[in-house]
Formats: sequence, structure tokens, C-alpha cells
Amino acid sequence: MKQLKRSSGRYLENLSRRKGAMIFVIMILLLMVVFVLDIFLGSVSLHPSEVIRALSGNSRTGAEMIIMEFRLPKAFTALLVGMALSVSGLQMQTLFRNPLAGPYVLGVSSGASLGVAFVILGFSSGMTMQSLQGLGNWLITVAAWTGAGIVMMLILVVSSRIRDIMTMLILGIMLSGGISAVVTIMQYFSNETMLKAYIIWTMGSLGNLSAAQLKILALSVTAGLILALVSVRMLNVLLLGENYAGSMGLNIKFSRALIFITTSLLAGSVTAFCGPVGFIGIAVPHIVRNIFRTSDHSILLPGTLLTGGIVMLISDIVSQLPGSDTILPINSVTSLIGIPVVIWVIMRNRHNSSSF
Amino acid sequence: MRTDNDKILAVESLEIGYGTGRHRRVLLPPLTASAQRGELVALIGRNGIGKSTLLRTLIGIQPALGGSVTIDGDDLLSIPRLELARRIGNISTEIIKVSNMTVYDLVALGRYPYKGWMGGADHEGLRAVENALERTGMTDLASRYIAELSDGERQRAMIGRVLAQDTDILVMDEPTAFLDVMSKHEMVNLMLGLAAEGKTIIFSTHDFSIATGQANRIWLTLDDKLTEGAPEDLIINRAFESLFNSPSVGFDSDEGTFYFRQEAGREISLKGEGMIRKWTEKALIRAGFVISDRAVHPSVAAPDKPSGEWLLNTGNDRKSFSSVYDLLRYLR
Repeated sequence: MKQLKRSSGRYLENLSRRKGAMIFVIMILLLMVVFVLDIFLGSVSLHPSEVIRALSGNSRTGAEMIIMEFRLPKAFTALLVGMALSVSGLQMQTLFRNPLAGPYVLGVSSGASLGVAFVILGFSSGMTMQSLQGLGNWLITVAAWTGAGIVMMLILVVSSRIRDIMTMLILGIMLSGGISAVVTIMQYFSNETMLKAYIIWTMGSLGNLSAAQLKILALSVTAGLILALVSVRMLNVLLLGENYAGSMGLNIKFSRALIFITTSLLAGSVTAFCGPVGFIGIAVPHIVRNIFRTSDHSILLPGTLLTGGIVMLISDIVSQLPGSDTILPINSVTSLIGIPVVIWVIMRNRHNSSSF
Repeated sequence: MRTDNDKILAVESLEIGYGTGRHRRVLLPPLTASAQRGELVALIGRNGIGKSTLLRTLIGIQPALGGSVTIDGDDLLSIPRLELARRIGNISTEIIKVSNMTVYDLVALGRYPYKGWMGGADHEGLRAVENALERTGMTDLASRYIAELSDGERQRAMIGRVLAQDTDILVMDEPTAFLDVMSKHEMVNLMLGLAAEGKTIIFSTHDFSIATGQANRIWLTLDDKLTEGAPEDLIINRAFESLFNSPSVGFDSDEGTFYFRQEAGREISLKGEGMIRKWTEKALIRAGFVISDRAVHPSVAAPDKPSGEWLLNTGNDRKSFSSVYDLLRYLR
């Protein structure tokens, strides 16, 4: 009897494991499909044969220019941005044990913007746009990391006192408001060229990255994602809260620092080059939790990685309004996708006290 | 026969509280207590006296302000973090709310101090998880989500997690607090079973009957000291009388129960035998009467069987009642 029970438990576990593996295969296929679609679709409609020829490098046409110089880097950027923001959102939600945590909502992206504003509007007032393109790339990146890191520290101090998720959310909004006030003051005192550069940056874009910038983004996001993979077991124990995690032998200070660095690296780099991109970080982890119905980060993290990429590529396709000349700001598209998810989480939380 | 070598936990002049330096706030006078292997130790004391703080200090997640905690001969501070987690496990009053976490996932988290850096399921770990599920009767509920469990089931799952952690000492802060009567007794039964298997369990509780009825040892925290001993020792030494001493409530060391202080009531005499007499007596005392040995009026005669009638003789009147309830209503 006992034997029977055990084997049936195993069977169920195997069944759900097989189901999980199936979902991963579907996700990978979907990711490849939307990546290819993102390259094929755009403001200028190209015939598929032209795209393939351009990709194989056999034509010196305008099509190759569009594909190699514009669409391919943009698709890569979308992939990196989606993965980075979603994974940082997942980490923040677990660390703060708050379903509404995310880099944009809690002001981490704003913190990164403040860092960028300091560089573009403040210190570099003497520089020209050309010098910004060179050495400025790393300067902007590091400034964004720092800004994001400082906001993360602030949130941590507050979250140790306040567990209520709505209060945290309001504080995040206050924080973003305060930061944008500081940025506005800086704009007031900055010169015209720098102001223009900053405003363009705030609109957010996946398509304005130079090859050098894309390289920096790819490097930082890869580093951040590797650190995130290392933190998987810590995140699982942190689900029970820091007291339980500590009593089970987790080094709280170390894991908190690791998760902070990872999140700042991921959200900071993305914000540095693409501007503030909203609601992806908060929404994607919830979508993934509902697909897999698990709390295990060794499944959630890869799932979030793939889904983040898929959602961001779809957002990019939508923002181009294929076939038309118009391009919507990417931030608007991600907000329109993410906000319904956030509302759904808030509504569910009112009835069900379980947080994530 | 147990020797002093079985002493698995010793607390010496321990000072608990918060802060450092000028902001230091010590909660209690220096505490000294101990626990033997396989003992069920109940920690009791009034609300807010610092029971939870003491338990948090024992498991090492809150620093002691002075004194020492010794686990199996080793100072708590000298034991590395993961090693400590393999020796002492903890269940707090915090209710875990994680949706999409199954009972199996929760119990498996208990293996954290054993696995390598990246984890991976080893055979020993899997067996420990399955044993923990079985020991707590949660095998059939293993694939259920913890958000869907009843309070009793969730508490059993939490115990399962500590069992998977495979520690000699279990520290539990009010493990029976939210449970209904059945779950509460199942929980106590489980704790007794674990203690019989050699685990040392230290738990805080407000349930006096569980503490005095089941624990091997009681740590009684009072404002000026910590007294320890078998429940009966504490009763004999009248230790509870000082804890439960207020103008309205007192502790009866003869009976081991509480009573409400009342003004001396009217005397009443009671005739009858057995169980029905006993409960009639309790009811009369509750109604404020003093049972007299002398033949006084009013007097009550309890029936032999429940279907019988209670006869009341007030001296100038006789009445009969079909239930204790009716009798008391009339007497009031």
C-alpha cells in the first residue's frame, strides 16, 4: 500500500515534469518564431526572399542595410531587454515578497534615469554629442547601475519596516515622482543640446543603439543573467521570508547583496540604453507563475527568461505597426500589455491574501 | 537513566533583547535553563514577556546581548551557519503565504542546508523528504498547494519541512496557536512522537493544559526570573500561583486548575453519586455556591441517571428540575 502511494506520487511528479518540459519546448519555438517575425515585419515591407537574401549577405541592396543595420540589432536588443527586465522583476518580487515589485513600479528604472540625467545633463555639459557616443557609453551605464542600486537600497530600508504591498507601491510612485522632480530641475539648468539628447533618451527606444552600445548591453545582461542563475536556490529559500531562510542556513546579507547587484545590473543597463521601459518586469513573472503553477525558481527563472524575450519581441512587432510608417514608443506598448496584468494581480490580492 | 551528557541545549546567564550600546534594551534578567535529548520543553509566560525573542535567540537569528547558548557542547556562536541549520530547526508564528508552492516543494526546502551550491536531487535528500511527508501524514497531500491547506494541515507541512531538515532540536513558537481542538491534539501527539524518537522540542504555548499535561519540562518565564522543572515540580513549588495571580483569577495548586475569585457564596448541600453528582457540583460552584458538608438549606439531590430529576429543597419549598440548566436558572 505504502509502495503504491509512493509510486503514484512519483508518477504524478513525472507527469508534471513532462508537461513542464513540453511548455519549455513550445516557449523556445515561439521565441524563435517571434524573433524571425520581428525581422521580417517593419515599417518598410520587404519580401521574405529579400530578407533571406539580405541575411545570407548575398545582396548589396537597401534591404540588407535595413536588415543588418536596423532590424537585426533591434531584435537582439528587444530580446535582451525583455529577458533582463523580467528576470530582475522576478528577483525583486521574491526578495521583497511583494507581487507588485518590479524595476519600473518601485522606481529602480527612475533611479537609473537619474544616473543617466546626471551624465547627460550634468557632468557632460562641456562635452559634445560625439564625445558622449565614445567614452560616454560606459559612463552612462555605470551611472545607471549606481542610480538603480541606490533606489534598491532605499526600497530595502523601507521594506524591512513595511510589509504592506500597497504602501510599498505608493512609496515607489513617490520615489519616482521625487526623482523626476530632480531631473526637471536639472533640465531647467542644462543647455539646449544636452536637453534634446536627454528628452530623446527618455522616450525609450530599442532601435537607437550603436554596435558598441549593443555590445555593452549584451555583456552586462549576460553577466546579470549568470548571477541570476546562481541565485536560484537562494530565491527558493527566500520565498519563506528572511527569518526562515536564515534559520535554514542562508547567508542573508550575501544573498541580498547578490540579488541587488544582479537587479541593478540588469535593470540599470537596459534603462541606460533604451530608456525607461515599463511594466515588463512586473508582469512577465506573474504570467510565468500562472503557466507553470510552481514556486520553484529553477523552473520560474528560465521560464521568465524565455517569456520576457517573447513578450518584448511581440511588443516590438506591435510598436512598428507593420506596413505603416508610424512607430509607437515602445514604453507605451509595454505599458498597455503590462498594466492589465498588474490590475489583475491587485484584484486577486484583494480577495486572496496569498501574495505570489 | 539519563546523565548530564544527554544535555543537548544549555542556556547560561543569557540576556535577550534588542539594540546595542546606549539603545540596548534587555527584556529579561539573565536566563539559565537547559533541555535534555528527547525532551518536550514547554516555554510559558505572559504575552510580551519575550518568549519569541528567547526562541529567536536560541536558533541564532537574533544575537544574544550577553551570556551563552550551548548546543551539544558547542557554543552557538562558534557553529557555522549551515552546520547550525543541520542541528536546530525552527517554526515561527509567521504564516507562510506563497501561492503555487506545493507541500512537496515546501518540505523539500528543508533540505537547503545539505545540498551543494547549485542543488540537485540526491537520493538521501529525496528519502528524507518522503519520510518527512509520511511522518506528518502529508504524503497524500504532497501535490496540494499550501495556500489551499487548512491551518492544521499547513502546520503539519511546516513540521514536515523541519523534519526534512533533520535536526536534533526543534524550536516552535506557538505551534498550536491557530488550530482547532482536533488539530491541536494531533499536533501535540505528533510532537510527543517526535520527542519519543529522540528529538528535543522546545515550544512556546499559552495552552496551560498542554504544557502541564504533556511537557517533560517547563521553562516558566516570570518578570524576575526563569524557573524550570517538571510541571508537577512547578505546581508543588507554587510557581504558577505567582504567574497567575490577579484580583480576578487565581491558580489552585491542589487541583492544578484556575479559578475565578468570587465573594464567598451561599452555602448549599449536595447529595448524589458518581458522574452526575460531580458535574452538578461544578455547576453549583460556577453559579457561586459553596458546597457544604453540613446539612444546610438549600439542598440539592442529584439523580442517578441523566433522565432523572434534580430535587431542590430550599427549606420552605421543594422543586424538581429536568436539567442542570433549569436548576441553575431557578437558583439565580
